[in-house]
Amino acid sequence: MLQWCASGFGAIALNALGSDHAPAEILRAMSPKAPHFEPKAKNIIFLYMDGGPSQVDTFDPKPMLDKYDGQDPKEVIGNLAPTQFDNVGKVLKSQWDFKQHGESGHWISSLFPYLAEVADELAFIKSMTSEFSEHTSANYFLHTGNGFQGRPSMGAWLGYGLGSENQELPGFVVLNGGLIPPGGLDCFGAGFLPSAYQGSVFLPNQEPLANIRPLEDNRTLQINKLDLIRKFDQDLNREIGGDAEIEAAIQNYETAFQMQTAVPDLMNLGEETEETRRLYGLDSKFKNTQVFGRQCLVARRLVERGVRFIELTCPGGNGDRWDQHKNLVDGHNKNCRTVDQPIAALIKDLKRVGLLDSTLIVWGGEFGRTPFAQGKDGRDHNPFGFTIWMAGGGTKPGVSVGQTDEWGYRAIEDRFEIHDLHATMLHLLGIDHTRSTFRFSGRDMRLTDVHGHLIKQVIA
Amino acid sequence: MRRSYYYFQTFIILIGMVCAFATAPLSAKELTSQEAEFFEAKVRPILVEHCYECHSVEAEDIEAGLVLDSRWGWETGGDSGAVVVPGKLEESLLIDAVRYTENVVSGMPPRSKLPDNEIRILEQWVMMGAPDPREKKEADHSHLVESFNLKKRFEEHWSWRAIGDPQPPQVKDTSWPKGVIDRFVLARLEKANLRPAKRADKRIWIRRVYFDLVGLPPSPEQILGYLNDDSPKADEKVVRSLLDSPHFGEKWARHWMDLVRYAETYGHEFDYPIQYAHEYRDYLIRAWNADVPFDDLIREHIAGDLLEDPRRHPNDGFNESVIGTGFWYFHEATHAPTDVLGNESDIIDNQIDVFGKAFLGLTIACARCHDHKFDAISTADYYGLSAYIQSSCRQLYPLDPGGQIAEANALIDPLRREAAEQLTSVDSELFQRLRFGEYFDASNALVKRLRRSKAVKELPKDWVQGAAKNKDLDAAKLERWTKFLPILFPEAKVIVDESEPFASFDQGLQGWSTSGTAFEAVGGELALSADGDLAYSGTIDSGLRGSKQVGVLRSPTFEIASDKIHVRLKATGNVTVRVVIDSYQMASFNALLFKGTLLNQKTADTKGAWRWKQLSGDLKKYRGHKAYLEFIDHSEGEIAIDAITFLAPKKQGSGKAIPKDGDAFESRWNLAISKLRSGNSSELVARMVDAGVLSIADLNESANVTITKAKEIANRLTAPRYVVAMAEGTRESANVYIRGSHGNLGDEVPPRFIEALGGNAGSRLELANLVASQDNPLTSRVIVNRIWYLLTGRGIVPTVDDFGPQGKPATHPELLDWLATDFVQHGWSLKHVIEQIVLSQTYRQSSSAHRELDQEFLATADPTNSLLHRMRVRRLPPESIRDAVLSVSGRIDLKLFGPSVATHRTPFMTGRGARESGPLDGDGRRSIYLSVYRNFLNPFMLTFDMPGPFGPKGKRSESNVPAQALTMMNDPMVVEQARLWSARMAELPVSDQEKIAQMVELAHASKPSREQIELLKSFLVSQADQYGKLDQRSWTDLGHALFNMKAFTFLR
Repeated sequence: MLQWCASGFGAIALNALGSDHAPAEILRAMSPKAPHFEPKAKNIIFLYMDGGPSQVDTFDPKPMLDKYDGQDPKEVIGNLAPTQFDNVGKVLKSQWDFKQHGESGHWISSLFPYLAEVADELAFIKSMTSEFSEHTSANYFLHTGNGFQGRPSMGAWLGYGLGSENQELPGFVVLNGGLIPPGGLDCFGAGFLPSAYQGSVFLPNQEPLANIRPLEDNRTLQINKLDLIRKFDQDLNREIGGDAEIEAAIQNYETAFQMQTAVPDLMNLGEETEETRRLYGLDSKFKNTQVFGRQCLVARRLVERGVRFIELTCPGGNGDRWDQHKNLVDGHNKNCRTVDQPIAALIKDLKRVGLLDSTLIVWGGEFGRTPFAQGKDGRDHNPFGFTIWMAGGGTKPGVSVGQTDEWGYRAIEDRFEIHDLHATMLHLLGIDHTRSTFRFSGRDMRLTDVHGHLIKQVIA
Repeated sequence: MRRSYYYFQTFIILIGMVCAFATAPLSAKELTSQEAEFFEAKVRPILVEHCYECHSVEAEDIEAGLVLDSRWGWETGGDSGAVVVPGKLEESLLIDAVRYTENVVSGMPPRSKLPDNEIRILEQWVMMGAPDPREKKEADHSHLVESFNLKKRFEEHWSWRAIGDPQPPQVKDTSWPKGVIDRFVLARLEKANLRPAKRADKRIWIRRVYFDLVGLPPSPEQILGYLNDDSPKADEKVVRSLLDSPHFGEKWARHWMDLVRYAETYGHEFDYPIQYAHEYRDYLIRAWNADVPFDDLIREHIAGDLLEDPRRHPNDGFNESVIGTGFWYFHEATHAPTDVLGNESDIIDNQIDVFGKAFLGLTIACARCHDHKFDAISTADYYGLSAYIQSSCRQLYPLDPGGQIAEANALIDPLRREAAEQLTSVDSELFQRLRFGEYFDASNALVKRLRRSKAVKELPKDWVQGAAKNKDLDAAKLERWTKFLPILFPEAKVIVDESEPFASFDQGLQGWSTSGTAFEAVGGELALSADGDLAYSGTIDSGLRGSKQVGVLRSPTFEIASDKIHVRLKATGNVTVRVVIDSYQMASFNALLFKGTLLNQKTADTKGAWRWKQLSGDLKKYRGHKAYLEFIDHSEGEIAIDAITFLAPKKQGSGKAIPKDGDAFESRWNLAISKLRSGNSSELVARMVDAGVLSIADLNESANVTITKAKEIANRLTAPRYVVAMAEGTRESANVYIRGSHGNLGDEVPPRFIEALGGNAGSRLELANLVASQDNPLTSRVIVNRIWYLLTGRGIVPTVDDFGPQGKPATHPELLDWLATDFVQHGWSLKHVIEQIVLSQTYRQSSSAHRELDQEFLATADPTNSLLHRMRVRRLPPESIRDAVLSVSGRIDLKLFGPSVATHRTPFMTGRGARESGPLDGDGRRSIYLSVYRNFLNPFMLTFDMPGPFGPKGKRSESNVPAQALTMMNDPMVVEQARLWSARMAELPVSDQEKIAQMVELAHASKPSREQIELLKSFLVSQADQYGKLDQRSWTDLGHALFNMKAFTFLR
């Protein structure tokens, strides 16, 4: 890339940067900003388990389910809240074996053999709750702290609060495994924040981002254009007497030009060793493991490049995401097979390159699933108590916080809500969630609205 | 009393305290020592350990206004009222909370449930009568009393004050101002020791005014015409022509669409369509073009369905006013909400947000959960407005373009009356002539035979033929008689015991409402349908004017109290029967959680016979919810409704309704015919006509001729055109939802306007009049400020949607009032305000500060140019950028109106509810005609800050990001248009130099300097070097570069 910059457009742009024009404030949207206090982590990787994994089949074993398997939940559990599909079946025991792993003794079911190897890196929160039992609202809530469409996503809030350490890549990248969650791209929107902070959705291919590929036959043709544009623009700006907006727009062309190279470079996994590729499961017989493995590997490369917030969405073809209203066994088997090896690899890989401490990994869905069946062999949505976990980034490895009731139905001890998760994520990146505000609609808006308490037990 | 309540809530709360003391069940003195000890030893420690942190006077932030460190605290309670009802576990919110049952309030303590034994202690305490020895400390609680004082806030904030009529100020430089606006602006500049910028160059001005007024660039011819016009009226002529242009409305409607979150889909999981949305968009364009007075436009938006004399389309004659009410319904919507009432309250929140901000610049929605934190708006104000929405319904309103339906009905109805009149002369020999007695006896025998032979299910053909031959009857006719005999003589009327039917229609509509032209109440008089059927008395029928009419029949709102609703109806074709629960509208897209609450074409069809149908299934989940019934005739169908009951109807009577023989039938017939002769309807005759054993022609040949004419007219009607609109429902008060929770009801509030603006209760139309009143201090100020913002880049009040105390103050308050007053004096004419502004010297300024102004001085005197010492440089909105690209390339199709062009979907736009991709260039249509799919918003538009349609947005964000550069550089649409442009230019028989000059003028409205032409020429050469020769490719690159220049994307 530097070769191109050395002659032509790039060189001119670099000269201009050294000129005495003050850069426009708008341009600083993504430049690094000081946190409120010393951060524990610099980046976040959010492993979004679209559809809602079942807590009682993965990390929250409940012997009562075995004991009362097949019985009427209204009789043995008691008063049940309305469910999304209103098709309540019998109490349903988990079809997978649970074992304790590592020194921490975390309970992990046989769905996650690879993850079990890094059990001691994980910090579980088994008492998470949400306010919505419908995907879209729950997704907006998980992503933006509000059940409505059109609010800033957590990645946008981070960009707003901290900027980015890389000006050639967006500060908030969504690695699209194939499934855009219910609620659509607005899960990753900037809402009322400036659009610079919105998530950029990267497809897992050579042209991951819209309009990143120049359409000219060769680079010189484009550089000639950009040179010409710049000359005219500078004339215009001089004529007007120097306008900050025009200057920022001129500067944007320089950044855009560099992005055209930086983005494809990022996606070039040929640079990785065979051992690394295998670690992530790029040679897996199961195609979706390869897909998610690529996503996890690109996530590490994004972290290395200083991208602030990275979200991974799930690959398609495993049933309806994690949303197993029926065929729980087949769906969860496939979903776990997809993510298990790549996620364990990501943790190991980040650790060996020394980036785990500064990278917060968060795993979770928008809600959990009911301990009783939907129909015969599925589970319905359950926002009253579910499990998420964190790793790295200043979390306390090996801890487990909170509990659901004996059925795994409602959180009853150390109950946390999504606002608390957000507050904690911001905190680990050095942001006080009560002080990160944006004036909109007559109010100082926050990611955590007027709520949010730190989940202190998971902070190292 | 109500009025003073809102002003002096503080006082009432204090009274409430006194009352609580008077009714306290136990006072400290009456406690036994055991009771006191139980409290001290068992209860108090639990409260101290688990509750005081948030619920005591020492708490940092008292949650829900509740304290538990005194008896007074739980007796008075918090936002939800008393939390302990001594002796009553189920009514004590404290118990609801600690049990985590969450029936009314959230589980408490919020983090972790109490141990079971502690919950039991609290239950025991409540059952004991909640003995509490703690003394009341009234003084300690004084700071808990809410300090919301509406009157004080009202008096303290400027925007509530009446609009003044300020005189234009004196200025030193009297030569500069051209009009009053300029004097206000100049006076502020002079006060700050500033001076205005020079006049902008004519080319700059004409480009500015074209984009601002019509959103399109001026053509070289238009520029030339203006440059050559030396008359003093040259500017005015340009402005006049733009205000008169049909494209004016296309530019300005879009600004209003930002405010009403215009969208064509509902978003959420499947992005279901908002049908007919584009009709509202077209209505706006027409309204702005016609300069409909803004107060009328507001009335149409809020209550266009209620106007006595609605505005009509000048050519097509349809009701324009009603279309305005569609703005209420551009909210997002989800299917299958597990909490349908909560879903409704969220939608209303959004509707009130739009209402408050768009018309009044008020953040009323902030008062949903608590009195406004800063403004003079109470929670009761919010629910007063909510009551209007709860008292209304969403309807599909059929337009009648060209008045074809009205015209047809003006012919059909008299023909129907004439035919009915003719029918009163019935041939007295008819019974014998048509051998009814014989047919009856023969068919009755067949029916009996069929009943006896249990093995035979269907009437065998040979039985009929045998009987017909035997009696010398027509076999086909006999078959019809036999088939319909049980229907002709139904068993005694089915009725409901122990309760009145919900509706019987014997007295007409009885509080039900209709829209459209299909539904008609049938009384006792003889009536024919245009299809040649006889109507049934005591029913509501949508088929009387033929099957092509459309309409909706709607019940009053009721509370669901049964698991089933039984409807006796007769339906064919495309009709819907549904129960609308808490205004929920999405069941027609996805029945999840609402199965059985809707009958459609398939499930409602009774093949023309009277049947009992049920709404049931999931209905049982919604006992206690409010609902109304809707019967919809979508055209190509008809439905008649006879009775509706909540309890299952039971048969009453002997079941022997069929006359014993032909003679008995004849006496029944004679009775029926005598009814007809006296002009009354007869059910027997109606049934015989429906069964096809009797025709109108049989009864009276001339009546048949008359009704056939009506039928021909009715059948000529074409498919209707619909709009989404508001309709009156059952007027009801709203309960305040305490802390915004619909499970926690507070006082009732009738439909009324906000207290600070009078608080008047009344109809929705009266509300509209109050908003659209010149005495309203906000409405006119807010709209002129919006126009000022859109033309200058910054509002006089910069927070255009927030005129409250949290908004920014006005930079030129007197100018704002002058503009508002002038606006109202000129008949609320939007075009007048726009014309005033764009013809001012202020707007005419160059975007460079006056050369004699010192830069350093400027940096302190007016660093953000809030005083307008020069015109602001503004980036074009995405609609204008795209429209300009299409204009310059020559691709633009300036056709007005119509359904939207589907969004072009890139590989990045995937997800649920994705529609088929539209053309890359949007068929060359202007951007306002591109679809707005909530979940698949146009990325080009989004990149340049078109807002997502979620809430009112009067001021778009102004981002300036690399993605915009990438879009202009690499978006295939932009590149394709550059290629089209170069192809068009290639055909011009002019020199390269001339071609370059023309392209610059087309793109930037400017004339390139000699140096610029040289630069562009050498660019062509360097591109040609790469390509190997100079051909169209280099010209495409040149056009593409011109699109990317800031002179293209910015206005100066």
